[in-house]
Amino acid sequence: MTLSRRNILLGGGALGAAAASPAQAQAPLNVGFILIGPVGDFGWSTMHDQGRRRMLEVLGDRVRATQVEAVAPPDFDRVATQLVRTGSRLIFTTSFSYFQATQRVAGQNPNVFWESATGTATARNLAIYNARFYEGRYVQGVIAARKSRSKTIGYVASFPVPEVIHAINTVMRGAWSVDPQMRIRVVWAGAWFNPGREADAARALIDQGCDVICQHTDSPAPLQLAEQRGNVFGFGQASDMTRFAPRAHLTSSVNNWGDYYVARARAVLDGSWQPTDTWGGLDSGMFRLAPFTNMTPEEASEAERIRDALAAGTLHPFEGPITRQDGTPVIPAGQRLTDDQIRAQNYFYQGIEVQMP
Amino acid sequence: MRRLVLERRMETPWALTLASPLLAVGLTLVSAVLVFLAMGRDPLEALFVYFVMPVSDLWGLQEVAVKATPLVLIAVGLALCYRSNNWNIGAEGQFLMGAMAGGWLAVATHGMGAGAWVLPAMLAMGALGGALFALIPALLKTRFGANEILTSLMLVYVAELLLDWLVRGPWRDPQGFNMPQTVVFAPEATIPLLMEGGRLNLGTPIMLLVVVLVALMVARTLKGFEITLVGEAPRAARFAGFDAKRLTWTVFAIAGGLAGLAGVLEAAGTVRMLQPGLSPGYGFTAIIVAFLGRLNPVGCLVAGVFLAITFIGGENAQIMMQMPLDVTRVFQGLLLFYVLGCDTLLLYRVRWVRRAEA
Repeated sequence: MTLSRRNILLGGGALGAAAASPAQAQAPLNVGFILIGPVGDFGWSTMHDQGRRRMLEVLGDRVRATQVEAVAPPDFDRVATQLVRTGSRLIFTTSFSYFQATQRVAGQNPNVFWESATGTATARNLAIYNARFYEGRYVQGVIAARKSRSKTIGYVASFPVPEVIHAINTVMRGAWSVDPQMRIRVVWAGAWFNPGREADAARALIDQGCDVICQHTDSPAPLQLAEQRGNVFGFGQASDMTRFAPRAHLTSSVNNWGDYYVARARAVLDGSWQPTDTWGGLDSGMFRLAPFTNMTPEEASEAERIRDALAAGTLHPFEGPITRQDGTPVIPAGQRLTDDQIRAQNYFYQGIEVQMP
Repeated sequence: MRRLVLERRMETPWALTLASPLLAVGLTLVSAVLVFLAMGRDPLEALFVYFVMPVSDLWGLQEVAVKATPLVLIAVGLALCYRSNNWNIGAEGQFLMGAMAGGWLAVATHGMGAGAWVLPAMLAMGALGGALFALIPALLKTRFGANEILTSLMLVYVAELLLDWLVRGPWRDPQGFNMPQTVVFAPEATIPLLMEGGRLNLGTPIMLLVVVLVALMVARTLKGFEITLVGEAPRAARFAGFDAKRLTWTVFAIAGGLAGLAGVLEAAGTVRMLQPGLSPGYGFTAIIVAFLGRLNPVGCLVAGVFLAITFIGGENAQIMMQMPLDVTRVFQGLLLFYVLGCDTLLLYRVRWVRRAEA
């Protein structure tokens, strides 16, 4: 009881101070970052690191940044608490694997602003942010259907969380828009970053006849394996991975967290921070598609057209009719899934012959 | 012609046994200073952040205790195994098996508002699960003469995969967005915290009690003498009527039980759920702890605390000095390297000999 009352008082005081006191505004804001992988994963964590650098570049000496990389979920509480204790007032926790723990420590530290990269709920001092990567997945599906001769896409997946499930569904939506005969196979690597297992997964998929590999893991390993095998194509994840597979790479989804980090740090500095729920699409600049490679001019211009339609909002990947794997209808034609429905997607579409693990 | 040979010492001086790990730590520190200088950092500041900051306040001390508890618990059991020449390398698996055995009760009684009996029962089941799992390599060794290094190590993967399957399948949290983890354990299945504003829990006093009990057993009981004698002089032990096979069962059961206890304490205390990344390799790090602690229970306590400090110091260095994680890994590698190197020099004498003599 004492504890919670003291925390509330502390929190109220700090929030008030951040909003009002000019002395507070002059001291640099210490921003913490907790990364799930090493900064050198060339994917998800690398791009968060670049976002941090961008924030430092733009805001200069108004901010300082502290980053802890490769934090295993059981170590999260200690690292987060230590960041708070060493003066971080805005902390980005950049994995869904941390989300529950972030909710917990945000409650324990109400005087700190928390931001979870992907999450399912906000709180008084907890914002969530993510990009609508599924728009890129739709384009991947369209391209894959054009490039595949075996009509089979291979998907190196991490965990069966809704983010991954709806990405798989959307890849197939895109592929079916070109060729309804397209099929998909999925291997669960059980990790966000584990180059060895990611490569094994890609190898297994290619051996089963997949000739376009999508990946929902963070290292370039699946793409590199596609390059080695030859006559197999793949998509880069999180950063422009063209250089890892100059002959296999088709496009990459390139994340850009920098502008968001700048905006959020600025919001804390001028006292306007709100626990927002941000889900930015292609039009927001939170991610873009890397230049199309290894494609004919016709294929590339089709991909561009689809990309632009998604960005403009004239094409939406979650239009009805949508039917579950087992035949249960979700929404009829003419309706569209809400954001919350997309975020909770826990089922494969009819026609996707993949077992939920 | 002269050449360098390693010659086994007839007897290792007692003082050197104590000096060896200290020398290893000292060499690690010297190397650390060189690395910091090469990185253009102030070595004094870096050493402070690494080794002093983690223990400079109550919160930090609690975190060190939380990190050291599983390491010491496992290492104390392993020390008994290694003293008696039973090479149990599979503590990681026994740790996970204990966490699963105890965690099962937490998952099964979740949401039923079960009483205070749950937690003691979980601890008992954790210890039992770890012990039974450790008896598999003991059985294979005593019955079939299978090499326990291999069998105990292989069983680590069995335990890891079993945990992986359980948290993805039957024990998965239905509200967990399909993440591979169980529900967060209910309060009655959670190890009580000891202090406000920190994470110190009942596991640490349990660990200290175990250290005292095992130290007494080694120093003061016949069983302790038997363990040491079987390891150092198996023939003499046979003449004394000690049964080496029975002893293998005993030490494997104790080591597995302690590792299992550490596992359930970690699951129900620190992590509060089961998930595949439950152990960041505690069972393997504890092998270093056991040797750094000279296979002595109190030594294991000191070594476990030291390793916990380097681990948390590494995080601090990332937080306070923006040093990359790799530097921490380099230090832990260097420490092990020097420990092994120094031990070689203690057990063996370096001598120049003439080729003609040899």
